[in-house]
Amino acid sequence: MEAIAARPAFSCCRSAVAAGSASRRLLLNTSPASARQKSSTARTRKALNIPPHQSFLNFNGSDGATRPTSDQIIFNPPSSAPSVFHTPFKFLPPSDPRRRANLASELFASSAHNSPSSSSQPSSSTSEAAATPEELPLAGGVPPLKPRHHLSKEDIEEMRRLRAEDPVKNSVLNLSRQFQCSKLFVLMCCQAPKEHREKIQSQLEQVKNRWGPRRRAAREERQRRFAMLFSGEL
Amino acid sequence: MKRLRLDRWTGQLLVARPGASSASTPRAALRSPAMCRCMTVRNQSTAASPQIPQEDDYYDGTDHSRFPPLEQLPPRATSLPSPPPERALQSAKLAALHARLSLPEKVPLQTLGRALVDASADDNPQYNNTNLAFVGHTLINYHVGEWLMCRYPRLPMEVLYAAMKGYAGPTALHHVARSWGVEHAAAPGGEVDPGLLQFSMHKPGEAVTVFGYKRAEYDGLRKHQWRHGISSRVVFDDDFGEIVQSEEEKDQMRARADTEYGNEYTRTLAEAAYATCARAVVGAIYAHTGREAAKAFIKAHILSRTLDLSRLFFFKKPTRELSLLCAREDFEPPVARLLSETGRMSRTPVFVVGIFSGKDKLGEAAAASLEHARAKAAMNALKSWYLYSPGEHVRVPSDMLSEDAQPWDPAYIDIGEIIGR
Repeated sequence: MEAIAARPAFSCCRSAVAAGSASRRLLLNTSPASARQKSSTARTRKALNIPPHQSFLNFNGSDGATRPTSDQIIFNPPSSAPSVFHTPFKFLPPSDPRRRANLASELFASSAHNSPSSSSQPSSSTSEAAATPEELPLAGGVPPLKPRHHLSKEDIEEMRRLRAEDPVKNSVLNLSRQFQCSKLFVLMCCQAPKEHREKIQSQLEQVKNRWGPRRRAAREERQRRFAMLFSGEL
Repeated sequence: MKRLRLDRWTGQLLVARPGASSASTPRAALRSPAMCRCMTVRNQSTAASPQIPQEDDYYDGTDHSRFPPLEQLPPRATSLPSPPPERALQSAKLAALHARLSLPEKVPLQTLGRALVDASADDNPQYNNTNLAFVGHTLINYHVGEWLMCRYPRLPMEVLYAAMKGYAGPTALHHVARSWGVEHAAAPGGEVDPGLLQFSMHKPGEAVTVFGYKRAEYDGLRKHQWRHGISSRVVFDDDFGEIVQSEEEKDQMRARADTEYGNEYTRTLAEAAYATCARAVVGAIYAHTGREAAKAFIKAHILSRTLDLSRLFFFKKPTRELSLLCAREDFEPPVARLLSETGRMSRTPVFVVGIFSGKDKLGEAAAASLEHARAKAAMNALKSWYLYSPGEHVRVPSDMLSEDAQPWDPAYIDIGEIIGR
């Protein structure tokens, strides 16, 4: 007996959704109100004409047979999210035997990162087009810059002095541009005078008071959704 | 037409009333059984003369000619708070429970019967299950704790406490005892079948099975919800990281127990009684057959239960925690990248985001918005860090106690959590 295992992949989600919409179309056409049209028939026939999965085609020594000739188990589960119980290679401690066992495969897998099964569907998603993770588009957020540690103690004193002098002109953004550091670093270093902070706070309160019920509810809901996400309910 | 005699309809239920009018307290009724009997005879007014039971037995007013006892009780059985141990040999329920659990023959039925008597039913520690439950509680928590620490060495302390509670907490052990087919008696007493779990709602007993210290700042913790960090929980609190109740609070709870019925608190009491029973069975096995049998029993009945540890986590800033982890472990800083997407402009888009550190993918998740997918992928990456396991059949320190044990190779110990909570 031999088993054919196919790794479940998220990358087929686009094609899955497309197939779902096609079947919905098919259902609509069966209703008596809308007559069968040539255009929809051709379209659905095209959409539903899917070749069988590769695991059903590659039989050992098959001479054009459509059925398996030998005993084999085809394990082809539907696509699913990867389990968190599979520790990534990088997270394995040095003492773990899996690290030694997988080292060779991890080293040579980077060139053939995407398996050939996924490249058989060229238009399905963005991941197939990119060979390495560096070519994938960023998903929100800028990658953190490496800290340069170029500011001295005098620079930080100067930054504080400027911020205290004129907090409107020397805003956090301006200071970060001037000293070529991140905004977070400016915020870590200096604090605006109290009256400036109170002014900003009151302005924010005024803006919030102008919100209508819809905008307020939408913001609260967004917060609640994030809280649910963090506790694993979404 | 037959004449209806209304006074006879509820005669059985009304028996206690005349006794109460003459002797107001049960203790007084106990002292004068003869008077009580006379009243009963007069009110029942049945044709057959009631059998007079033995003089030293407590007579509760039941007409034994109409309602013969199901089993011959030993003298004074009804006056005892729990069934006498010699009745355990006649109980079919107890024998069935013994057989169902496949307990070794060395565990006698009397001990199993004693494991079913809660401290609230019988406060004599020589007849209730407090001592057995104490041993069982210690054993269960030790085995669950060592197994969790060796199997998942990177679990944060909060999740470890939650997992301990999920495996060995009162709710889990209550379910274990229920799954064994243990049933409880409506009220404890000497006449009850010894195969039924006996506990009383009216006076919650003093089953001391919890380690822990009383905190000096207890009132502030309860009233003002003061923060108590995980380190102090390790030192002061019980095995599940929960504050040990003070005596005053216990007294308040006891006062409530007598007045309330069928609420969350009474359910907690019943749950605790079942959990104590499950612990006492483990303690009984340890007392009669030793360490290895008790360990095998715990493994079969408690550690074999399924608990999804990945659902016990709660994060506040997962992306920040992950970047701190990567900085600590000298990995490249994590970057979120879009693996695939569908329906970006539609009502129900799906974004699949992976988090990469260098060329390695740490986590992956799908969500309906880019921020959600990014946060979820970071949470998955952190979970896969925390849920690292050296293997499914990892050795635990108690394996070394058997004679033919292989030499011990040290278990993996993690350096600690990423951020303090």
